Amino acid sequence: MNFSLLMILLTPIFGGLLAYAGSALHKAVRNIFFLIFLILPFFELYQYANKTIDNFYYLTVLGQSLSLGINALSFMLSLLFSLIFLLAYIFLLFEFDKSEDSDLAILEFSFLEGAVFGVLFARDILSFFIFFEIIALIIFFLIGKGYEESHNAQLKYITWALIGANSMLAAVVFLFFKAGSFGYAEISGYLSTAPTPIVLITFVLFVIGFLIEASIMPLHVWAPITYAEAPDSVSVLLSSVVKKVGLYLFTIFVFSIFGLNLFSKIMPRVFEAPLIMYVLQWIGALTIIIGTFVAIVQEDAKKILAWSSIAQSGYILLGLSLGTPLGVAGGLLHIVNHSIFKGILFFVVGGVIYRTGTKNLSELGGLIKKMPISFISMLLAIIATAGIPPLNGFVSKYLIYEALIQNKEPLLLTIALLGGTGSFMYVYRLIHSIFLGQLPKKYEGVKEVPILMQVPMLVLSLLALLFGVLPGIPMYFVSKAEAFLGFDPIKYTLTGFPEQPGLHALNVPIISAALMGGFVVAALIFYLLPKTRSVHQLDNYYAGEILTEDVKYNYSFGFYSFFDDIIKPFNEWSIDRIYENFVGFVKTVGDYIRRIYTGNLETYVSLGIIILTIFSLIYIIGGVLW
Amino acid sequence: MELQETLEEGYVEILDHLRKRSLWMLHYCTACGAVELPPTITSRFDAERFGIAPFVTSRQSDILLVTGYINIKTLKRLVTVYEQMLPPKYVIGFGSCTINGGIYWDSYAVVKRLDLYLPVDVYIAGCMPTPMAVLEGFRTLMKLIDEGKANGWRKYIENYDYYKANQRKVLKW
Amino acid sequence: MVEKLVLILTPIFAFFVGIFLEGFKRKMVARIHRRYGPPLHQPLLDIIKLLSKKENISHGVMFDLGPVIFVGASILTVLFLPLPHFKQLTPYGDLIAFLYIMVIGSLGMALGAGESGNPNASIGIARALTLMLGYELPLIIAGNTLVVRYGTTDLYKFMTLQSGFNWNLFLLPLTAIAGFIATYGAMGEHPFDTVVAPQEVATGPMVEYGGKHLGLLMIGHAIQVYIETAFFTILFLGGASNIFTFILKQLGVIIVMTLFDTVFPRFRIENAVRYFWRWPTLIALLGLLIVYIGGK
Repeated sequence: MNFSLLMILLTPIFGGLLAYAGSALHKAVRNIFFLIFLILPFFELYQYANKTIDNFYYLTVLGQSLSLGINALSFMLSLLFSLIFLLAYIFLLFEFDKSEDSDLAILEFSFLEGAVFGVLFARDILSFFIFFEIIALIIFFLIGKGYEESHNAQLKYITWALIGANSMLAAVVFLFFKAGSFGYAEISGYLSTAPTPIVLITFVLFVIGFLIEASIMPLHVWAPITYAEAPDSVSVLLSSVVKKVGLYLFTIFVFSIFGLNLFSKIMPRVFEAPLIMYVLQWIGALTIIIGTFVAIVQEDAKKILAWSSIAQSGYILLGLSLGTPLGVAGGLLHIVNHSIFKGILFFVVGGVIYRTGTKNLSELGGLIKKMPISFISMLLAIIATAGIPPLNGFVSKYLIYEALIQNKEPLLLTIALLGGTGSFMYVYRLIHSIFLGQLPKKYEGVKEVPILMQVPMLVLSLLALLFGVLPGIPMYFVSKAEAFLGFDPIKYTLTGFPEQPGLHALNVPIISAALMGGFVVAALIFYLLPKTRSVHQLDNYYAGEILTEDVKYNYSFGFYSFFDDIIKPFNEWSIDRIYENFVGFVKTVGDYIRRIYTGNLETYVSLGIIILTIFSLIYIIGGVLW
Repeated sequence: MELQETLEEGYVEILDHLRKRSLWMLHYCTACGAVELPPTITSRFDAERFGIAPFVTSRQSDILLVTGYINIKTLKRLVTVYEQMLPPKYVIGFGSCTINGGIYWDSYAVVKRLDLYLPVDVYIAGCMPTPMAVLEGFRTLMKLIDEGKANGWRKYIENYDYYKANQRKVLKW
Repeated sequence: MVEKLVLILTPIFAFFVGIFLEGFKRKMVARIHRRYGPPLHQPLLDIIKLLSKKENISHGVMFDLGPVIFVGASILTVLFLPLPHFKQLTPYGDLIAFLYIMVIGSLGMALGAGESGNPNASIGIARALTLMLGYELPLIIAGNTLVVRYGTTDLYKFMTLQSGFNWNLFLLPLTAIAGFIATYGAMGEHPFDTVVAPQEVATGPMVEYGGKHLGLLMIGHAIQVYIETAFFTILFLGGASNIFTFILKQLGVIIVMTLFDTVFPRFRIENAVRYFWRWPTLIALLGLLIVYIGGK
């Protein structure tokens, strides 16, 4: 069968509408309907593997035909996003099982998936803009179904989304009037001969829009509260899909539409990259380090994940803006890997909230005995987040580091590596405060999450392990995407990377095998020796004191308080505060201006006369002078 | 069968022989006796040459060194600490207080005989025992371990009811 | 064939070298205190004693697995360090991969200690991770300096490039000093022993570990001593042309470390991190600057 791209785009939307109609019959009908329509895109996408389509016209606006297309990069991402949508949907069913919003949430969910496909397939700046704004709008609705503070989050999100939208809209309109066309190819052709200021202004306007969605540093203010307050399944989508859509557009615009050659032509090169890319590298690096350090001192499980997500997108931006085959491969691979492991973390934390009803880390603890499967999933995910072999986060970060070495940028490399160590701190705090330590009495009846809810975490955990041990699998797609972007794809094998310029050979299966070998030796020593006797958690060393249930004997609040002391001097420079000051300034100015509008007719008349006089004076004097 | 037993015995003997060279002590400093320990472990007398070193928690230690009188409140903690230690474990009663109450022989709040409540392997008499006496006590314990006679922890398990009953009498658990 | 045999025997070799270095250290500390000191094989006796405990306690599966992962990962890390004439597993992973492989053991131990449910253990781990953030900064910069200078990340090449007396200690003294302080911090010696700090947090992560768990941790620790000293030897002391020189150089590192270890008191954790981010980092940056400006 032949499926057109438009059909793929509309499939989830049809499914959502059908499911919404089906919900009148029974919940099960709705669920199954929608599940089918979420699985369908995989089959439909199958025929587009290894295909590049550039102009599938579907609509004509302003005399211009809008087109869809697919290439290696958008194929890879649409496959990944379909999977995450499917898993997030399964999770959403449980999360909203007691809520009355579930029908509406599913409908919005379906439109979101359609819009995401739309952005991925768009081949002109108008359709990408429209689909992008649909995403923002639906996310705005979905956030509102979350926790107590979600309405504040909604406001913050929509404000920033609008800033991004206006900035992109300006660029879109400007380019349309200059180039006379919406198509990516025509725009690219126009830009290659355009004057330097136009290129720079439109580029900055577009990038502001993308980087707001990707929550890169000075534009991240909406992200922590939104990620923390949105429903858990929506947080997964925000971090694993919407953020990556922003980064996908960034990739496409930088490498395919504007192009590195254009930048090298109009600006000096610093460290083997055009100046603007070098600036972006530093923005990425600052995002890594600040995001990591702020994540370390958070007290809320989802806020840790939010800041961690910000920091990880810094890695992606850093890798992509290096503009070398290695760096771009690392950035693209990290897009895939980060979607996977951050998805697991949000799913597990969501499951814990589903069972215990709190996301406050100081109230949790000791759940490992109650929720072992969630624990294992989270363990794999935190190993990946910290970038430790043999999980998938290692390979992509490794590529980014090696790319930095190849470009001879020791300072950026230092920051990136330090961010890796810092991520070790916050992931440990997360797993410790939730699963380790002492189990509070009130959670003694907590059970593991339902089996269907375990499916999303387990599927992604297996993927994380598979992509970690055999990095050749994701590299197959990544190298094709790289070839599409116009780079020489880096060499890879199923097990890692062979020796090549700028990259030391890496073989992850051998690392894993050696690890397993060491593990077996140690386990033999351990399990051949006398058996262990399990003791109660309160039979614990306390200098001889006898512990009782009613005294809390757990270290979970202010876990890194001493680290907080170290970075306290820098808290003064918070970016949030800069924006707040700006808001305060606008309010004050507005207050003064409002005093002119007294509601009295005489004031308005006299104001009119004054302004009229001023303009006439200018006119007269101007006429005399010129 | 016999061969296996001989082997096992030999194995235990070798282990005991090695084990006596590494004794970590938990000095439960209840009273004035603690003041004699710093000279014992520092340069003048150097207990570390026998492999004896002070350690911190009950899980890690082999010797419970009860340095001085035990009052009823302390006994509760002492029993908890002893039960948290991993066998083989040894108790050393340090000073006359642990033998018969010492100068607190007529106090209402002090437990006079330690071995009613915990199985004591070695007593070091004196008020205070000097570092030389302490080292002599350690050497005696090492000899007992080598000979397989330091079986206090086994005694505690075998006569658990007896010890528990004695503890209950004072502690009113 | 010989290479594979060496590969398999390396962990055992590393363990015994580590035991020797530890025993030597204890003896040396005793001599500085003007004591006689324990016998050289005392660490081995301690391990045998701990492993032969009649009964062990456990707080859960992760608590048991913590020491196992620690030892397993230490064995893995040893395999990625080159020996004189033997590349070991270095063709499959470089300096960057090595930095991350080194962390696996600490992760295992941190998870195990966390499950003990003792706040002292958690505080110890929190301190350990914060300290790690402290000493990693100078260590990373020092490593970067070497990478910039030699244009490679291969550990075996680092070793061969310094053959003769072209030690980095002589060629890049500033970097070597920063690297030494960072390695010293990684070993957790005074004044950076805030992690175990017996008087404050009752040996921190090890607080609930006893018996065979602690025995395994001590085996792992012996291997870690080998790893840290060998790492420093390879990066800054020019590796070695044969195994005895290699051990001798490690012994030299341990002797210098012990000289500092015996005389220092303990930093508070904030001050330790501030220290690492101030002096060693400045020294390392200066070294980096010199290499960067001076070129190859």
